[in-house]
Amino acid sequence: MSDPTKTELTLIAERLDALTAQVARLAERPRQDDLYDELVPVVRAMMGSAMGRLDAMERDGTLAFVRELGGVGQKVLANFSAADVRQLGDAVVTILETVRTLTQPDVMRVAADAGEAIQHADSAKPMGLFGMMRATKDDDVQRGMAVMMEVLRRVGHGVNAIAAKQQHADDKKAKLAEILGPKRQRKVLGTERAAPPKALPPPTPVVKAAPPAPACAVPAKPGQVAAVIDGVAFTADGNLVDAAAWTRGLATALADAERVALTDAHWAVLDAARADFAATGSSPNIRRLTQVAGVSTKDLYVLFPRAPGRTIAKIAGLPKPAGCL
Amino acid sequence: MTANRKVAIICSKAGLDECYPALILANAARQSGIDAFVFFTFWGLDVITEEKVDHLHVNLAGNPASGMPTMLAGLPGMESLAGRMMRKQMTELSLPSVREMLQILDEAGAELYGCELAMQMFKRKKEELVPQVKDVITAGDFYDLAEGAQIIFT
Repeated sequence: MSDPTKTELTLIAERLDALTAQVARLAERPRQDDLYDELVPVVRAMMGSAMGRLDAMERDGTLAFVRELGGVGQKVLANFSAADVRQLGDAVVTILETVRTLTQPDVMRVAADAGEAIQHADSAKPMGLFGMMRATKDDDVQRGMAVMMEVLRRVGHGVNAIAAKQQHADDKKAKLAEILGPKRQRKVLGTERAAPPKALPPPTPVVKAAPPAPACAVPAKPGQVAAVIDGVAFTADGNLVDAAAWTRGLATALADAERVALTDAHWAVLDAARADFAATGSSPNIRRLTQVAGVSTKDLYVLFPRAPGRTIAKIAGLPKPAGCL
Repeated sequence: MTANRKVAIICSKAGLDECYPALILANAARQSGIDAFVFFTFWGLDVITEEKVDHLHVNLAGNPASGMPTMLAGLPGMESLAGRMMRKQMTELSLPSVREMLQILDEAGAELYGCELAMQMFKRKKEELVPQVKDVITAGDFYDLAEGAQIIFT
Protein backbone atom coordinates (compact mmCIF):
# COMPACT_ATOMS: atom_id res chain seq x y z
CA MET A 1 0.00 0.00 0.00
CA SER A 2 1.08 3.52 -0.69
CA ASP A 3 2.03 6.01 1.99
CA PRO A 4 -0.93 8.40 1.63
CA THR A 5 -3.30 5.46 2.24
CA LYS A 6 -1.32 4.58 5.37
CA THR A 7 -1.74 8.05 6.79
CA GLU A 8 -5.42 7.98 5.97
CA LEU A 9 -5.89 4.65 7.70
CA THR A 10 -4.05 6.03 10.74
CA LEU A 11 -6.46 8.95 10.80
CA ILE A 12 -9.45 6.62 10.68
CA ALA A 13 -8.00 4.54 13.47
CA GLU A 14 -7.53 7.60 15.66
CA ARG A 15 -11.07 8.69 14.99
CA LEU A 16 -12.42 5.25 15.79
CA ASP A 17 -10.46 5.21 19.06
CA ALA A 18 -12.11 8.45 20.08
CA LEU A 19 -15.53 7.06 19.19
CA THR A 20 -14.89 3.85 21.09
CA ALA A 21 -14.10 5.88 24.18
CA GLN A 22 -17.36 7.75 23.72
CA VAL A 23 -19.30 4.52 23.35
CA ALA A 24 -17.68 3.07 26.44
CA ARG A 25 -18.75 6.06 28.42
CA LEU A 26 -22.27 5.77 27.11
CA ALA A 27 -22.42 2.11 27.95
CA GLU A 28 -22.02 2.93 31.60
CA ARG A 29 -25.35 4.66 31.60
CA PRO A 30 -27.98 2.48 33.23
CA ARG A 31 -31.01 3.06 31.00
CA GLN A 32 -31.27 1.40 27.66
CA ASP A 33 -33.40 3.95 25.83
CA ASP A 34 -31.08 6.72 26.98
CA LEU A 35 -28.22 4.79 25.62
CA TYR A 36 -30.02 4.40 22.33
CA ASP A 37 -30.90 8.10 22.15
CA GLU A 38 -27.34 9.02 22.82
CA LEU A 39 -25.88 6.40 20.61
CA VAL A 40 -27.74 7.19 17.40
CA PRO A 41 -26.15 10.59 16.76
CA VAL A 42 -22.77 9.28 17.74
CA VAL A 43 -22.99 6.34 15.38
CA ARG A 44 -24.30 8.61 12.67
CA ALA A 45 -21.38 10.93 13.14
CA MET A 46 -19.04 8.00 13.15
CA MET A 47 -20.53 6.49 10.03
CA GLY A 48 -20.58 9.85 8.31
CA SER A 49 -16.96 10.55 8.92
CA ALA A 50 -15.94 6.98 8.11
CA MET A 51 -17.96 7.08 4.88
CA GLY A 52 -16.31 10.38 3.96
CA ARG A 53 -12.90 8.93 4.45
CA LEU A 54 -13.77 5.76 2.59
CA ASP A 55 -15.30 7.75 -0.24
CA ALA A 56 -12.02 9.60 -0.57
CA MET A 57 -10.14 6.35 -0.65
CA GLU A 58 -12.49 4.87 -3.19
CA ARG A 59 -11.91 7.80 -5.44
CA ASP A 60 -8.23 7.04 -5.67
CA GLY A 61 -9.12 3.35 -6.33
CA THR A 62 -7.66 1.84 -3.18
CA LEU A 63 -10.92 0.50 -1.89
CA ALA A 64 -12.02 -1.42 -4.97
CA PHE A 65 -9.76 -4.26 -3.91
CA VAL A 66 -11.02 -4.22 -0.31
CA ARG A 67 -14.64 -4.21 -1.50
CA GLU A 68 -14.00 -7.23 -3.69
CA LEU A 69 -12.47 -8.89 -0.70
CA GLY A 70 -15.65 -8.11 1.22
CA GLY A 71 -17.63 -9.82 -1.55
CA VAL A 72 -15.45 -12.85 -1.12
CA GLY A 73 -16.11 -12.70 2.62
CA GLN A 74 -19.84 -12.66 1.93
CA LYS A 75 -19.53 -15.75 -0.21
CA VAL A 76 -17.48 -17.44 2.47
CA LEU A 77 -20.11 -16.58 5.07
CA ALA A 78 -22.89 -17.90 2.87
CA ASN A 79 -21.21 -21.25 2.39
CA PHE A 80 -19.47 -21.97 5.66
CA SER A 81 -20.72 -22.21 9.22
CA ALA A 82 -18.89 -21.35 12.41
CA ALA A 83 -18.10 -24.99 12.97
CA ASP A 84 -16.40 -25.12 9.61
CA VAL A 85 -14.27 -22.17 10.53
CA ARG A 86 -13.27 -23.83 13.80
CA GLN A 87 -12.23 -26.91 11.89
CA LEU A 88 -10.37 -24.67 9.50
CA GLY A 89 -8.47 -23.27 12.45
CA ASP A 90 -7.47 -26.77 13.50
CA ALA A 91 -6.30 -27.61 10.00
CA VAL A 92 -4.56 -24.35 9.30
CA VAL A 93 -1.06 -25.76 9.68
CA THR A 94 -1.80 -28.55 7.25
CA ILE A 95 -3.38 -26.09 4.87
CA LEU A 96 -0.35 -23.86 4.96
CA GLU A 97 1.94 -26.81 4.40
CA THR A 98 -0.20 -27.91 1.46
CA VAL A 99 -0.21 -24.44 -0.01
CA ARG A 100 3.56 -24.17 0.42
CA THR A 101 4.07 -27.50 -1.34
CA LEU A 102 1.66 -26.63 -4.12
CA THR A 103 3.18 -23.20 -4.68
CA GLN A 104 6.76 -24.39 -5.10
CA PRO A 105 7.94 -22.88 -8.39
CA ASP A 106 8.55 -26.34 -9.92
CA VAL A 107 5.13 -27.60 -8.98
CA MET A 108 3.50 -24.43 -10.23
CA ARG A 109 5.29 -24.72 -13.53
CA VAL A 110 4.06 -28.30 -13.99
CA ALA A 111 0.53 -27.26 -13.02
CA ALA A 112 0.62 -24.28 -15.38
CA ASP A 113 1.80 -26.56 -18.17
CA ALA A 114 -0.98 -29.04 -17.49
CA GLY A 115 -3.45 -26.19 -17.29
CA GLU A 116 -2.35 -24.98 -20.69
CA ALA A 117 -3.01 -28.45 -22.10
CA ILE A 118 -6.51 -28.35 -20.66
CA GLN A 119 -7.01 -24.90 -22.12
CA HIS A 120 -6.25 -26.26 -25.57
CA ALA A 121 -8.30 -29.40 -24.94
CA ASP A 122 -10.66 -28.72 -27.84
CA SER A 123 -7.91 -29.61 -30.32
CA ALA A 124 -7.35 -33.03 -28.68
CA LYS A 125 -8.78 -35.98 -30.58
CA PRO A 126 -10.78 -38.71 -28.82
CA MET A 127 -8.59 -41.73 -28.04
CA GLY A 128 -9.46 -45.42 -27.93
CA LEU A 129 -7.84 -48.41 -26.31
CA PHE A 130 -5.17 -48.75 -28.96
CA GLY A 131 -4.47 -45.03 -28.91
CA MET A 132 -3.89 -45.38 -25.21
CA MET A 133 -1.52 -48.28 -25.74
CA ARG A 134 0.42 -46.29 -28.33
CA ALA A 135 0.57 -43.31 -26.02
CA THR A 136 2.23 -45.40 -23.31
CA LYS A 137 5.28 -45.69 -25.55
CA ASP A 138 6.01 -41.99 -25.03
CA ASP A 139 8.66 -41.38 -22.36
CA ASP A 140 6.86 -38.37 -20.94
CA VAL A 141 3.59 -40.23 -20.72
CA GLN A 142 5.34 -43.07 -18.97
CA ARG A 143 6.84 -40.67 -16.46
CA GLY A 144 3.47 -38.98 -15.99
CA MET A 145 1.82 -42.32 -15.44
CA ALA A 146 4.38 -43.21 -12.81
CA VAL A 147 3.72 -39.91 -11.02
CA MET A 148 -0.03 -40.34 -11.27
CA MET A 149 0.27 -43.87 -9.92
CA GLU A 150 2.23 -42.59 -6.95
CA VAL A 151 -0.42 -39.90 -6.40
CA LEU A 152 -3.14 -42.55 -6.64
CA ARG A 153 -1.26 -44.79 -4.24
CA ARG A 154 -0.95 -42.03 -1.66
CA VAL A 155 -4.57 -40.95 -2.08
CA GLY A 156 -5.66 -44.54 -1.63
CA HIS A 157 -3.40 -44.91 1.39
CA GLY A 158 -4.88 -41.77 2.93
CA VAL A 159 -8.46 -42.83 2.23
CA ASN A 160 -7.79 -46.23 3.74
CA ALA A 161 -6.35 -44.58 6.83
CA ILE A 162 -9.46 -42.41 7.15
CA ALA A 163 -11.68 -45.44 6.73
CA ALA A 164 -9.70 -47.33 9.36
CA LYS A 165 -9.98 -44.39 11.74
CA GLN A 166 -13.73 -44.20 11.12
CA GLN A 167 -14.01 -47.91 11.73
CA HIS A 168 -12.06 -47.53 14.95
CA ALA A 169 -14.36 -44.70 16.08
CA ASP A 170 -17.43 -46.74 15.22
CA ASP A 171 -16.05 -49.64 17.18
CA LYS A 172 -15.51 -47.39 20.17
CA LYS A 173 -19.06 -46.04 19.89
CA ALA A 174 -20.44 -49.54 19.64
CA LYS A 175 -18.44 -50.60 22.70
CA LEU A 176 -19.69 -47.60 24.62
CA ALA A 177 -23.27 -48.27 23.60
CA GLU A 178 -22.84 -51.83 24.72
CA ILE A 179 -21.67 -50.74 28.15
CA LEU A 180 -24.37 -48.10 28.55
CA GLY A 181 -27.14 -50.25 27.23
CA PRO A 182 -29.85 -49.11 24.82
CA LYS A 183 -30.62 -45.40 25.04
CA ARG A 184 -34.27 -45.88 24.39
CA GLN A 185 -36.52 -48.45 22.92
CA ARG A 186 -36.20 -48.18 19.18
CA LYS A 187 -39.44 -47.86 17.37
CA VAL A 188 -39.98 -50.99 15.37
CA LEU A 189 -40.46 -49.96 11.79
CA GLY A 190 -41.82 -53.21 10.49
CA THR A 191 -42.74 -56.31 12.32
CA GLU A 192 -41.44 -59.50 10.92
CA ARG A 193 -44.30 -61.78 10.23
CA ALA A 194 -43.93 -65.46 10.69
CA ALA A 195 -43.68 -67.27 7.40
CA PRO A 196 -47.00 -68.85 6.42
CA PRO A 197 -47.03 -72.56 7.07
CA LYS A 198 -45.97 -74.38 3.98
CA ALA A 199 -48.69 -76.39 2.38
CA LEU A 200 -47.79 -80.02 2.43
CA PRO A 201 -46.98 -81.25 -1.05
CA PRO A 202 -49.63 -83.60 -2.33
CA PRO A 203 -48.56 -87.17 -1.76
CA THR A 204 -46.81 -88.29 -4.90
CA PRO A 205 -47.86 -91.68 -6.13
CA VAL A 206 -44.97 -94.06 -5.82
CA VAL A 207 -43.82 -94.80 -9.32
CA LYS A 208 -40.99 -97.09 -10.09
CA ALA A 209 -38.32 -94.88 -11.61
CA ALA A 210 -38.38 -95.26 -15.32
CA PRO A 211 -35.04 -96.41 -16.66
CA PRO A 212 -33.07 -93.57 -18.21
CA ALA A 213 -33.46 -93.17 -21.92
CA PRO A 214 -30.66 -94.89 -23.75
CA ALA A 215 -27.90 -92.60 -24.91
CA CYS A 216 -28.39 -91.11 -28.31
CA ALA A 217 -31.55 -93.19 -28.73
CA VAL A 218 -34.15 -92.40 -31.32
CA PRO A 219 -37.54 -94.10 -31.03
CA ALA A 220 -37.77 -96.80 -33.61
CA LYS A 221 -40.12 -96.13 -36.46
CA PRO A 222 -42.71 -98.76 -37.22
CA GLY A 223 -41.15 -101.01 -39.81
CA GLN A 224 -42.38 -101.27 -43.35
CA VAL A 225 -43.21 -104.74 -44.49
CA ALA A 226 -40.71 -105.70 -47.17
CA ALA A 227 -41.15 -109.46 -47.25
CA VAL A 228 -43.32 -112.16 -45.64
CA ILE A 229 -41.56 -115.47 -45.08
CA ASP A 230 -43.51 -118.43 -43.64
CA GLY A 231 -46.23 -116.06 -42.44
CA VAL A 232 -43.76 -113.73 -40.63
CA ALA A 233 -43.35 -110.16 -41.91
CA PHE A 234 -39.82 -108.70 -42.22
CA THR A 235 -38.51 -105.21 -42.95
CA ALA A 236 -36.04 -104.46 -45.73
CA ASP A 237 -33.17 -104.72 -43.17
CA GLY A 238 -34.32 -108.17 -42.12
CA ASN A 239 -35.87 -107.25 -38.76
CA LEU A 240 -39.27 -108.45 -37.62
CA VAL A 241 -42.03 -105.94 -38.34
CA ASP A 242 -43.91 -106.94 -35.17
CA ALA A 243 -41.84 -107.90 -32.14
CA ALA A 244 -44.82 -109.83 -30.76
CA ALA A 245 -44.53 -112.33 -33.61
CA TRP A 246 -41.18 -113.55 -32.19
CA THR A 247 -40.74 -117.06 -30.82
CA ARG A 248 -37.68 -118.91 -29.55
CA GLY A 249 -37.86 -121.23 -32.50
CA LEU A 250 -37.89 -118.28 -34.86
CA ALA A 251 -34.84 -116.89 -33.03
CA THR A 252 -32.88 -120.07 -33.66
CA ALA A 253 -33.76 -119.95 -37.35
CA LEU A 254 -32.82 -116.27 -37.56
CA ALA A 255 -29.53 -116.96 -35.74
CA ASP A 256 -28.71 -119.66 -38.28
CA ALA A 257 -29.27 -117.14 -41.06
CA GLU A 258 -26.82 -114.78 -39.29
CA ARG A 259 -24.40 -117.71 -38.83
CA VAL A 260 -24.55 -117.49 -35.05
CA ALA A 261 -24.82 -120.68 -32.98
CA LEU A 262 -26.93 -119.75 -29.95
CA THR A 263 -25.53 -120.64 -26.51
CA ASP A 264 -26.83 -119.74 -23.04
CA ALA A 265 -24.69 -116.60 -23.15
CA HIS A 266 -26.37 -115.59 -26.40
CA TRP A 267 -29.81 -116.28 -24.95
CA ALA A 268 -29.07 -114.16 -21.88
CA VAL A 269 -28.25 -111.21 -24.12
CA LEU A 270 -31.31 -111.79 -26.33
CA ASP A 271 -33.63 -111.97 -23.31
CA ALA A 272 -32.14 -108.80 -21.84
CA ALA A 273 -32.60 -107.03 -25.18
CA ARG A 274 -36.26 -108.10 -25.39
CA ALA A 275 -36.89 -107.09 -21.79
CA ASP A 276 -35.36 -103.66 -22.40
CA PHE A 277 -37.45 -103.21 -25.54
CA ALA A 278 -40.60 -104.11 -23.58
CA ALA A 279 -39.66 -101.55 -20.91
CA THR A 280 -38.51 -98.62 -23.05
CA GLY A 281 -40.15 -99.22 -26.44
CA SER A 282 -36.86 -98.71 -28.23
CA SER A 283 -34.44 -101.29 -29.49
CA PRO A 284 -31.26 -101.24 -27.37
CA ASN A 285 -28.00 -100.27 -29.05
CA ILE A 286 -24.67 -101.81 -28.05
CA ARG A 287 -23.94 -99.35 -25.26
CA ARG A 288 -27.39 -99.90 -23.83
CA LEU A 289 -26.96 -103.65 -24.10
CA THR A 290 -23.74 -103.57 -22.10
CA GLN A 291 -25.70 -101.80 -19.37
CA VAL A 292 -28.89 -103.91 -19.32
CA ALA A 293 -27.32 -107.31 -20.07
CA GLY A 294 -24.19 -106.79 -17.99
CA VAL A 295 -21.98 -107.97 -20.83
CA SER A 296 -18.86 -106.11 -21.89
CA THR A 297 -18.57 -104.59 -25.32
CA LYS A 298 -15.79 -107.03 -26.05
CA ASP A 299 -17.94 -110.06 -25.18
CA LEU A 300 -20.77 -108.75 -27.33
CA TYR A 301 -18.38 -108.67 -30.27
CA VAL A 302 -17.23 -112.17 -29.38
CA LEU A 303 -20.80 -113.52 -29.19
CA PHE A 304 -22.04 -111.68 -32.26
CA PRO A 305 -18.89 -110.86 -34.23
CA ARG A 306 -20.53 -109.01 -37.09
CA ALA A 307 -22.41 -105.86 -36.12
CA PRO A 308 -23.59 -107.11 -32.70
CA GLY A 309 -26.26 -104.46 -32.15
CA ARG A 310 -27.97 -105.11 -35.42
CA THR A 311 -27.57 -108.86 -35.26
CA ILE A 312 -28.99 -109.07 -31.75
CA ALA A 313 -31.98 -106.95 -32.79
CA LYS A 314 -32.60 -109.19 -35.74
CA ILE A 315 -32.41 -112.43 -33.76
CA ALA A 316 -34.40 -111.01 -30.84
CA GLY A 317 -37.13 -109.88 -33.23
CA LEU A 318 -36.66 -106.20 -32.48
CA PRO A 319 -36.45 -103.19 -34.81
CA LYS A 320 -33.03 -102.07 -36.04
CA PRO A 321 -31.42 -100.05 -33.20
CA ALA A 322 -31.11 -96.35 -33.80
CA GLY A 323 -28.42 -94.00 -32.53
CA CYS A 324 -24.68 -93.80 -32.94
CA LEU A 325 -23.27 -95.63 -29.95
CA MET B 1 -21.86 -108.41 -48.92
CA THR B 2 -19.73 -106.02 -46.94
CA ALA B 3 -17.39 -108.70 -45.67
CA ASN B 4 -14.13 -106.84 -46.20
CA ARG B 5 -15.31 -103.27 -46.06
CA LYS B 6 -12.75 -101.12 -44.23
CA VAL B 7 -12.45 -97.53 -43.06
CA ALA B 8 -9.28 -95.73 -42.07
CA ILE B 9 -9.91 -92.62 -40.01
CA ILE B 10 -7.25 -89.96 -39.46
CA CYS B 11 -7.70 -87.89 -36.34
CA SER B 12 -5.45 -84.83 -36.50
CA LYS B 13 -6.99 -82.60 -33.86
CA ALA B 14 -7.58 -82.95 -30.17
CA GLY B 15 -10.41 -80.57 -29.41
CA LEU B 16 -13.17 -82.35 -27.54
CA ASP B 17 -15.48 -81.41 -30.39
CA GLU B 18 -12.87 -82.34 -32.98
CA CYS B 19 -12.02 -85.85 -31.84
CA TYR B 20 -15.51 -87.19 -31.17
CA PRO B 21 -16.49 -87.41 -34.84
CA ALA B 22 -13.51 -89.68 -35.51
CA LEU B 23 -14.29 -91.86 -32.50
CA ILE B 24 -18.02 -92.06 -33.23
CA LEU B 25 -17.40 -92.86 -36.88
CA ALA B 26 -14.98 -95.63 -35.97
CA ASN B 27 -17.44 -97.05 -33.45
CA ALA B 28 -20.34 -96.84 -35.88
CA ALA B 29 -18.22 -98.67 -38.44
CA ARG B 30 -17.58 -101.51 -36.02
CA GLN B 31 -21.26 -101.64 -35.09
CA SER B 32 -22.09 -101.96 -38.76
CA GLY B 33 -19.62 -104.77 -39.22
CA ILE B 34 -17.02 -102.60 -40.95
CA ASP B 35 -13.35 -102.97 -40.04
CA ALA B 36 -12.04 -99.72 -38.64
CA PHE B 37 -8.75 -98.26 -37.61
CA VAL B 38 -7.93 -94.80 -36.40
CA PHE B 39 -4.63 -93.04 -36.95
CA PHE B 40 -3.93 -90.30 -34.41
CA THR B 41 -1.49 -87.72 -35.72
CA PHE B 42 -0.25 -84.27 -34.80
CA TRP B 43 -2.53 -82.72 -32.17
CA GLY B 44 -4.71 -85.78 -32.42
CA LEU B 45 -1.98 -87.52 -30.46
CA ASP B 46 -3.31 -85.82 -27.33
CA VAL B 47 -6.47 -87.94 -27.62
CA ILE B 48 -4.48 -91.11 -26.95
CA THR B 49 -2.01 -89.58 -24.48
CA GLU B 50 -2.66 -90.82 -20.96
CA GLU B 51 -2.34 -87.47 -19.20
CA LYS B 52 -4.28 -85.46 -21.76
CA VAL B 53 -7.21 -87.67 -22.66
CA ASP B 54 -9.37 -86.61 -19.71
CA HIS B 55 -8.66 -82.91 -20.14
CA LEU B 56 -9.39 -82.18 -23.77
CA HIS B 57 -10.64 -78.66 -24.42
CA VAL B 58 -13.14 -77.19 -26.80
CA ASN B 59 -11.81 -74.69 -29.30
CA LEU B 60 -14.14 -71.69 -29.27
CA ALA B 61 -11.98 -69.04 -30.92
CA GLY B 62 -12.65 -68.65 -34.61
CA ASN B 63 -15.54 -71.09 -34.38
CA PRO B 64 -18.64 -69.23 -35.54
CA ALA B 65 -20.92 -72.09 -34.46
CA SER B 66 -19.82 -71.83 -30.85
CA GLY B 67 -21.90 -68.69 -30.40
CA MET B 68 -19.06 -67.13 -28.44
CA PRO B 69 -17.46 -64.00 -29.96
CA THR B 70 -13.86 -64.74 -30.88
CA MET B 71 -12.77 -61.72 -28.84
CA LEU B 72 -14.09 -63.42 -25.69
CA ALA B 73 -13.32 -66.97 -26.72
CA GLY B 74 -9.62 -66.16 -26.65
CA LEU B 75 -9.65 -65.19 -23.00
CA PRO B 76 -7.60 -67.39 -20.70
CA GLY B 77 -9.50 -70.31 -19.27
CA MET B 78 -12.32 -70.09 -21.79
CA GLU B 79 -11.34 -73.31 -23.58
CA SER B 80 -11.10 -75.39 -20.47
CA LEU B 81 -14.36 -73.87 -19.22
CA ALA B 82 -16.11 -74.82 -22.43
CA GLY B 83 -14.51 -78.25 -22.28
CA ARG B 84 -15.79 -78.76 -18.75
CA MET B 85 -19.27 -77.63 -19.72
CA MET B 86 -19.35 -79.92 -22.73
CA ARG B 87 -18.09 -82.87 -20.69
CA LYS B 88 -20.78 -82.21 -18.09
CA GLN B 89 -23.45 -82.12 -20.75
CA MET B 90 -22.16 -85.37 -22.23
CA THR B 91 -22.26 -87.02 -18.82
CA GLU B 92 -25.84 -85.89 -18.39
CA LEU B 93 -26.71 -87.49 -21.73
CA SER B 94 -24.78 -90.56 -20.54
CA LEU B 95 -22.49 -90.24 -23.54
CA PRO B 96 -19.19 -92.03 -23.04
CA SER B 97 -16.14 -89.94 -22.26
CA VAL B 98 -13.19 -89.92 -24.65
CA ARG B 99 -11.38 -92.50 -22.52
CA GLU B 100 -14.49 -94.69 -22.49
CA MET B 101 -14.85 -94.27 -26.22
CA LEU B 102 -11.29 -95.50 -26.68
CA GLN B 103 -12.04 -98.54 -24.50
CA ILE B 104 -15.26 -99.23 -26.41
CA LEU B 105 -13.40 -98.95 -29.71
CA ASP B 106 -10.71 -101.31 -28.49
CA GLU B 107 -13.26 -103.84 -27.26
CA ALA B 108 -15.22 -103.51 -30.47
CA GLY B 109 -12.11 -104.48 -32.37
CA ALA B 110 -11.21 -101.13 -33.88
CA GLU B 111 -7.45 -100.59 -34.07
CA LEU B 112 -5.85 -97.40 -32.77
CA TYR B 113 -2.48 -96.18 -33.98
CA GLY B 114 -0.23 -93.30 -33.02
CA CYS B 115 1.84 -91.34 -35.55
CA GLU B 116 5.57 -91.83 -35.18
CA LEU B 117 6.56 -88.40 -36.47
CA ALA B 118 4.09 -86.69 -34.14
CA MET B 119 5.48 -88.76 -31.27
CA GLN B 120 8.96 -87.45 -32.05
CA MET B 121 7.70 -83.91 -32.42
CA PHE B 122 5.95 -83.89 -29.07
CA LYS B 123 8.75 -85.98 -27.49
CA ARG B 124 6.36 -88.67 -26.34
CA LYS B 125 7.10 -92.28 -25.56
CA LYS B 126 4.81 -95.20 -26.23
CA GLU B 127 4.44 -95.71 -22.45
CA GLU B 128 2.75 -92.32 -22.22
CA LEU B 129 -0.05 -93.42 -24.52
CA VAL B 130 -3.26 -95.11 -23.39
CA PRO B 131 -3.03 -98.93 -23.37
CA GLN B 132 -5.60 -99.26 -26.16
CA VAL B 133 -3.09 -97.98 -28.72
CA LYS B 134 -1.98 -100.95 -30.76
CA ASP B 135 1.17 -99.47 -32.24
CA VAL B 136 3.06 -96.37 -33.30
CA ILE B 137 3.39 -96.33 -37.08
CA THR B 138 4.59 -94.11 -39.90
CA ALA B 139 2.51 -92.60 -42.65
CA GLY B 140 3.78 -95.32 -44.99
CA ASP B 141 2.61 -98.04 -42.61
CA PHE B 142 -0.72 -96.26 -42.54
CA TYR B 143 -1.12 -96.60 -46.29
CA ASP B 144 -0.24 -100.30 -46.08
CA LEU B 145 -2.98 -100.73 -43.48
CA ALA B 146 -5.44 -98.60 -45.38
CA GLU B 147 -5.22 -100.71 -48.51
CA GLY B 148 -8.74 -101.19 -49.79
CA ALA B 149 -10.14 -98.93 -47.06
CA GLN B 150 -12.11 -95.75 -47.33
CA ILE B 151 -10.06 -92.95 -45.76
CA ILE B 152 -11.73 -90.34 -43.60
CA PHE B 153 -9.78 -87.30 -42.42
CA THR B 154 -11.08 -85.40 -39.43
